[in-house]
Amino acid sequence: MYNVVTQSKDVTLLEILDRVLEKGVVISGDAVISVADVDLIYLGLRVLLSSVETMEQLRGTPITGTMQQAR
Amino acid sequence: MKLYLYGIIDSSNHVNEPIYGLEGSCVYNIPYCDIGVVVSDFTGLVRMETKDNVLAHEQVIERVMERFIVLPFRFHTVFDSRDDVLSLVQSYYKDFKDNLDRLRNKVEFGIKVIWPSDKIKEQIINTCKKSNKKVLVSGDSSNKRFIRKKFEKYVINEEFQKKANKYINVMDMFFSKFAAEKKLKKLKTEDMLLDAVYLVEKNNQSAFREAFEHIKTIHAGFKFLFSGPWPAYNFVILQKKNDLLKDSKKEDLFDKVIRQRDLVGADKI
Repeated sequence: MYNVVTQSKDVTLLEILDRVLEKGVVISGDAVISVADVDLIYLGLRVLLSSVETMEQLRGTPITGTMQQAR
Repeated sequence: MKLYLYGIIDSSNHVNEPIYGLEGSCVYNIPYCDIGVVVSDFTGLVRMETKDNVLAHEQVIERVMERFIVLPFRFHTVFDSRDDVLSLVQSYYKDFKDNLDRLRNKVEFGIKVIWPSDKIKEQIINTCKKSNKKVLVSGDSSNKRFIRKKFEKYVINEEFQKKANKYINVMDMFFSKFAAEKKLKKLKTEDMLLDAVYLVEKNNQSAFREAFEHIKTIHAGFKFLFSGPWPAYNFVILQKKNDLLKDSKKEDLFDKVIRQRDLVGADKI
């Protein structure tokens, strides 16, 4: 189903992870918690998945093997 | 039943076409004034951190993006109830509206550039050798050798940074012509020369791609990754959240001063 969407552009799963896991509207952090009653909010992740950025920071080198050259 | 949040959209209308999200649940819109929150019911019983779930999250946002402006939520943002979602939107309404207006008719593109850092360094070392930059500290004692090595390393690094800036400036000059906003990260690692995201008007997409192709052509030996169009993941700015963070830092400082004063027993610090 989603392959139609994701295969239609030059993109790797890591590019998706980079955005979906790290960016966008992020409602978290102490300040927001005190305002928006944050026990309502559950931000779970980051256990098994890691973004490109995090992985690179850990490795110290980019993951060039997974990069695609745009056509 | 909990609610899984995908994004804020610029409409309070129903999502007409059937879209299925995580756990195969139907996606719908929770309206608030003239905007809405795209959600689906969510039990949270299945394992979240899977490739399929991440792709399902992205797919919903992209489907919704075909008809609306979307401020995407980060993966795995789950609220307990509809009332909780509404109180969040109420609290951030102005921020969400401002972002929706700013991002109207715009999409995000990602560009990553890998350069041959080893070769670049090698070139720099050769140039330095020719120009005798290394022989600023003469003599052969171990201390002098140490200082010379440090200095050479410093010179190489300086040149490395200069070269990186030069390449990035040229590339960015081309891309920026067709971009409304941008975020650049230089040398995240030695090999990754540039990790950039550009916010581009939909009308300028083709021109932006052409600029990329041109840059790619004139930089043989470099590797390029171009991705997009994406929802504007990197360009959502929550002003209220920033203000709150600043306030909380101020409070922290104030608390520290008070604590310090109590410890010292002084009236004024």
